[in-house]
Amino acid sequence: MSWGEFWVILVGCSITILVCRVLPLFLLKGRELPAWATRALGLIPAAAFAALVANDLLAPGMFAQGLWPAAIPLIVAAVVVVVALATRSLLWCAVTGVAVYALLLLI
Amino acid sequence: MPSRAHIQQAFSAAVPVMLGYVAIGIPCGILCDSIGLDALQALLMSIVFYSGAGQFMVPNMYLTGAPAASIIASVSFVNSRQMLYSAYFAPFAEGVSKRVAFLFAATVTDESYGVSAARFQEGDWSIGRALMVNLFSQSSWALSNFFGVLIGAAIGIPLNIAAFAMTSIFICLLVTQKMTSANIVAAVVAMIGVYVCKLAGLGGPAILIGAVAGVAVALVYCTLRERAVAQKGSSR
Repeated sequence: MSWGEFWVILVGCSITILVCRVLPLFLLKGRELPAWATRALGLIPAAAFAALVANDLLAPGMFAQGLWPAAIPLIVAAVVVVVALATRSLLWCAVTGVAVYALLLLI
Repeated sequence: MPSRAHIQQAFSAAVPVMLGYVAIGIPCGILCDSIGLDALQALLMSIVFYSGAGQFMVPNMYLTGAPAASIIASVSFVNSRQMLYSAYFAPFAEGVSKRVAFLFAATVTDESYGVSAARFQEGDWSIGRALMVNLFSQSSWALSNFFGVLIGAAIGIPLNIAAFAMTSIFICLLVTQKMTSANIVAAVVAMIGVYVCKLAGLGGPAILIGAVAGVAVALVYCTLRERAVAQKGSSR
């Protein structure tokens, strides 16, 4: 990739992400929000984390290459859920997730 | 200046994210190296753009010969989910100086949002500490990308394994949410929404559409439940 192309892509991507990151906060900051809007904001974490998890774990046709390759991430995810409930620790979850995943791929 | 105690709190909150960023930042740097970006360019990307998913997409799409305009459009679409995080933090940014609020908002990622949202829910947290979490995380990400380019393909880290560190963090953040019925409705609908989007070929905005659908359906659910409770009350 040339420096010219690099700048176009860097500036283009940076502007749009900056708008998405900054604008909503400044538009909503310091305003008296109606009750339903406050409630909607409170629902964002559960919905967003669920969407992120689903995006990582689920894909149409994931079982096309057989049951086992697609089942590995789901099994690891189940183990991580147990660790999360037991420890509530992000670090333990990340370590367990990577370790169990590597182990299952070795089998 | 932030107090020592606040810096320590922010650092310990950021550690899981920082380690995760080392695990995926180095492979990201290696990928950037493979399309001829140098260490300085990878560093610039990580400082100015700072998006894990985005920085993986750029080299991937470039390798398939996609034109710059289509790379920018796709990356922007995927990153549109940042709007939700920004909106979420708005009430907490009241009374915070414009400069700090801007710097904070500009450096939020999926993971640092997750960490700070969890702390804000618990109570004792501030935009100042959340900003430090962002900056610790970004430093880790930028340095990992930088060194990833330098070591290039000399070491091979299987990306699917490294990336599961992030998935694990999201799983932990999800299951430690308060298990109210509204939250469960939001989460289940969001997951279904993501899958349906992918089925329809809308992989790019799947996270945003799924999450918005989850929030919307849960809002309707709350309203219907309140109405049912009110009716029960008046019929007595």
